Amino acid sequence: MIKDMIDKQVLELKKLWANKRQLLFQLLNLAMIVFSALMIWKGLMFLTKSESPVVVVLSGSMEPAFQRGDILFLNNAVEQVGVGDVVVFKIKDRDIPIVHRILKVHEDENGKVELLTKGDNNRVDDRGLYAPGQLWLEREDILGKAVGTLRYVGMVTIALNDYPVLKYVLVGMMGLFVLTSKEG
Amino acid sequence: MHTVWVRLNAVVFFGLTVLLGLSCLAAISKIGHSYSNQPVIHTLEVRDLKSLKSHGGVDRALFSFDLHADFAPTFHWNIKQIFVYVIASYETEQKKVNKVVVHDKIIEATNPDKVLNYKGTFVKYALVDQGDDLRGKDITLQLLWDHMPITGLLYMGEQPLSEASTFTLPEEYQ
Repeated sequence: MIKDMIDKQVLELKKLWANKRQLLFQLLNLAMIVFSALMIWKGLMFLTKSESPVVVVLSGSMEPAFQRGDILFLNNAVEQVGVGDVVVFKIKDRDIPIVHRILKVHEDENGKVELLTKGDNNRVDDRGLYAPGQLWLEREDILGKAVGTLRYVGMVTIALNDYPVLKYVLVGMMGLFVLTSKEG
Repeated sequence: MHTVWVRLNAVVFFGLTVLLGLSCLAAISKIGHSYSNQPVIHTLEVRDLKSLKSHGGVDRALFSFDLHADFAPTFHWNIKQIFVYVIASYETEQKKVNKVVVHDKIIEATNPDKVLNYKGTFVKYALVDQGDDLRGKDITLQLLWDHMPITGLLYMGEQPLSEASTFTLPEEYQ
């Protein structure tokens, strides 16, 4: 049965290749989907002033509030982050951002803040996670404040990261569908 | 074309759309809930100062406190937990705003007892200054809480500053 379906898809592709006008139309269709997704992402970046407006929780350090695979919506358009806020921050020279809660805020007259964070589920604060010698986070280190959450959706991302092959299979299949579906 | 693939694609896509729509509805269903449903805070005040010492150039104060508050009203069906925390805020010559969490507690929705009743409880985190400026300072204790939803928006609540209690640390280390 699977073979039958694959044969059908191949047949569709061959037909498409023969009909250049149809091929062009389907390719444009595919491009439109890709660019729409990109536009939504960039639009969110603009609105939230955050370089990554949606993040996936990768660790259990904020349990039971957030579990591995939850997604968080970030807002970085806030002037100042306050004590108790859940924020996502990035340490210099490290790729993966961290989701934790602000434990301490010290602010001077010029509005310059120094922050210390801690995971709800961790026993100690985050000094050990910061860069060597770094005692405090500053406003620039914060990618955004968590304003909303959606559960489980991030599982897809985690699966795609753990099994890179899955990424190509999924993207390939989606591309194929867009190309071969007639009602476009 | 009505192949199995097209149908599967349509069903999965429709299912996801419905789930997303339901999530959005769940998120907006309780907007404004906190306006009429505030926790009942009976007491939050310091009981005993255990010590005020200098540790390698930074001041550290340890104290115990009383807290009695009922958080049952803040819960609704889309709340997974309430993160309750006590902050100590003060002002020093170098820093205009200092806010330090000295205690926190997670009340999960599954926990039937949503009343916090502490009598002379030791702070979870010591009150540590950035410098050596704690002596003789007025410290304000304030209760704050963060609503963590199952899905949807996070929002904060806080005790009005006018109801917060204040105490003064001694002029000398002890």
